[in-house]
Amino acid sequence: MTDRLVKEIEGHLPHIPLEIVSQGAEALVFQTSTHPYIDDPYLKNQKKYIVKFRPSKPYRHPIIDASINKTRTIGEAKFMTKLNKLGINSPSIISVDYSKAIIWMEFLGSELTNGDISSFKNWLWYLERNESEAKCVDEQVEQVCKKVGELIGKLHMNDMIHGDLTSSNIILQDFEPALIDFGLSSYSGLAEDKAVDLYVLERAILSTHSVFSDTYNGWLLEGYGSIHKQYSKQGGTKKYAETIKKLEDVRLRGRKRSMLG
Amino acid sequence: MTVDLDQYVKPGKGHYIALGLEGSANKLGVGVIKHNIGPLSQTNRAEVLSNIRDTYVTPPGEGFLPRDTARHHRNWVVRIIKKALIEANIKGTDIDCICFTQGPGMGAPLQSVVIAARTLAQLWNNIPLVGVNHCIGHIEMGREITGADNPVVLYVSGGNTQVIAYSKQRYRIFGETLDIAIGNCLDRFARTLKIPNEPAPGYNIEQMAKKGKHLINLPYTVKGMDMSMSGILGYIDQLANDMFGKQPKKVIDEVSGEPITPEDLCFSLQEILFSMLVEITERALAHVNSNQVLIVGGVGSNERLQEMMKLMIQDRKNGQIYATDERFCIDNGIMIAHAGLLSYRTGQTNLINDTVCTQRFRTDEVFIKWRDD
Repeated sequence: MTDRLVKEIEGHLPHIPLEIVSQGAEALVFQTSTHPYIDDPYLKNQKKYIVKFRPSKPYRHPIIDASINKTRTIGEAKFMTKLNKLGINSPSIISVDYSKAIIWMEFLGSELTNGDISSFKNWLWYLERNESEAKCVDEQVEQVCKKVGELIGKLHMNDMIHGDLTSSNIILQDFEPALIDFGLSSYSGLAEDKAVDLYVLERAILSTHSVFSDTYNGWLLEGYGSIHKQYSKQGGTKKYAETIKKLEDVRLRGRKRSMLG
Repeated sequence: MTVDLDQYVKPGKGHYIALGLEGSANKLGVGVIKHNIGPLSQTNRAEVLSNIRDTYVTPPGEGFLPRDTARHHRNWVVRIIKKALIEANIKGTDIDCICFTQGPGMGAPLQSVVIAARTLAQLWNNIPLVGVNHCIGHIEMGREITGADNPVVLYVSGGNTQVIAYSKQRYRIFGETLDIAIGNCLDRFARTLKIPNEPAPGYNIEQMAKKGKHLINLPYTVKGMDMSMSGILGYIDQLANDMFGKQPKKVIDEVSGEPITPEDLCFSLQEILFSMLVEITERALAHVNSNQVLIVGGVGSNERLQEMMKLMIQDRKNGQIYATDERFCIDNGIMIAHAGLLSYRTGQTNLINDTVCTQRFRTDEVFIKWRDD
């Protein structure tokens, strides 16, 4: 995070106290105590709000940059609105400024003992570094992994694709997972797209939490399957079978691709 | 590093010398490297004694085929090795180990080079053989040359597009292409436009792109930390065929009203592909909380890519970028010698019946015994 970027957001949002939470790849995430218009009674946390800002990227051609920032901000806001309507855990939207690429949203999550934000990734890392091995695969971790799987299952049952599932894009609010970061989201009923979504997560778990990745991935898929069974009247079982079959294809593609040079 | 790298030093010797043979694609590379005993550090750097390369170049519009490439390697391998030994001023028997590329790569060229390695090992009193993963060679050489200590690695070449970070004795792949590699995409587009393969198609595209002004609309396909390029190639190939095929069709830039040139196509293709590369690299950086980037592989010598990466890293706290020049970016023998020697120093060598090459060899399959951080 550099001065140039701080100046840019301060120009957009003067007189608003901002505290950096994280610098993601495409956006800066701040927290603030100021609501842009009123305190909304339905928000879980009424003292803190998140401001997500997509700065322009100097490395990109201006035309590409403008189009990416605009479509992603609009896409993310629409996606979050839809998730809210469906009751799939994610932050509620407070306000959106498309032209400046700024989204205000509900603050989810809390601080871990080591001061990091309670994302799924940070929590697993915290366990891995500070706790015993047994603790890394205990019942609570199993429950959370299954809940994450269920959450993704719900998303896919509604033909919505996250597009960037990693353990850092899942926030734990009192050990209830919520999805965040929908810049790459899309809508698709194709088993292929859902399988790629799952594959991206599987690989992220494998590379980020390598020690217990097989166990975690197993639980995630278990949760993913259980939610599809619940929706069996809406064709959940069939959809699940299709996606898992595709997932095997995608895995094979990932590993067997010809690699020359 | 706290790994003991000197358990296997020859009695009475204060250094190691390794010969590296690389031939996984159209470049035949031979390098000789010297490590002094003790851990590698700023003051104890690996010493490049020689680094010779010969590239098999095909006419414009044609790619290199495995059989012809293998023939090129067989033809040149003895001459290149002799040249490398003379330049390094060593005898065959001075060498501690012979390192060769075990994969990934094209089958036939890999095989022709490994035969040379096996023959030499037996000729010179059974020198140990060390099989090296090509990607690991790029990464370790990049780290050694630039001094980058624990970077996120963007590995971009004719056959590979991967974003890699080290964790627990493996180089783990965080993002990669879901279909074709970036260099493959550029090479194939060069073939469509009949851009010469001398010195390299990617280099010629880079030069043409410098003259391009107008950006044409291309798909942008980032999927998490992965990317996909076959759709973009199909799209721009179609456009190029329409514009310069049998019935040429004029395409006009929407903003300026000027006609689109081949230079504009090269410019647009580079801009979109490299934006995607930089984005997935930044995603990996954010995901693993790192701020160092190392670019390796042939495409890594592209100056526009390096410039874009620099602009990205400047906006991150304490961001640092490391890149090497064409001697080490483009496939070479020295990187195989270097990575192989690290392997040798931790006691990992291959018996002769264990030197079979493989076309598919994942970066994360290799156990990195020489690091323990």
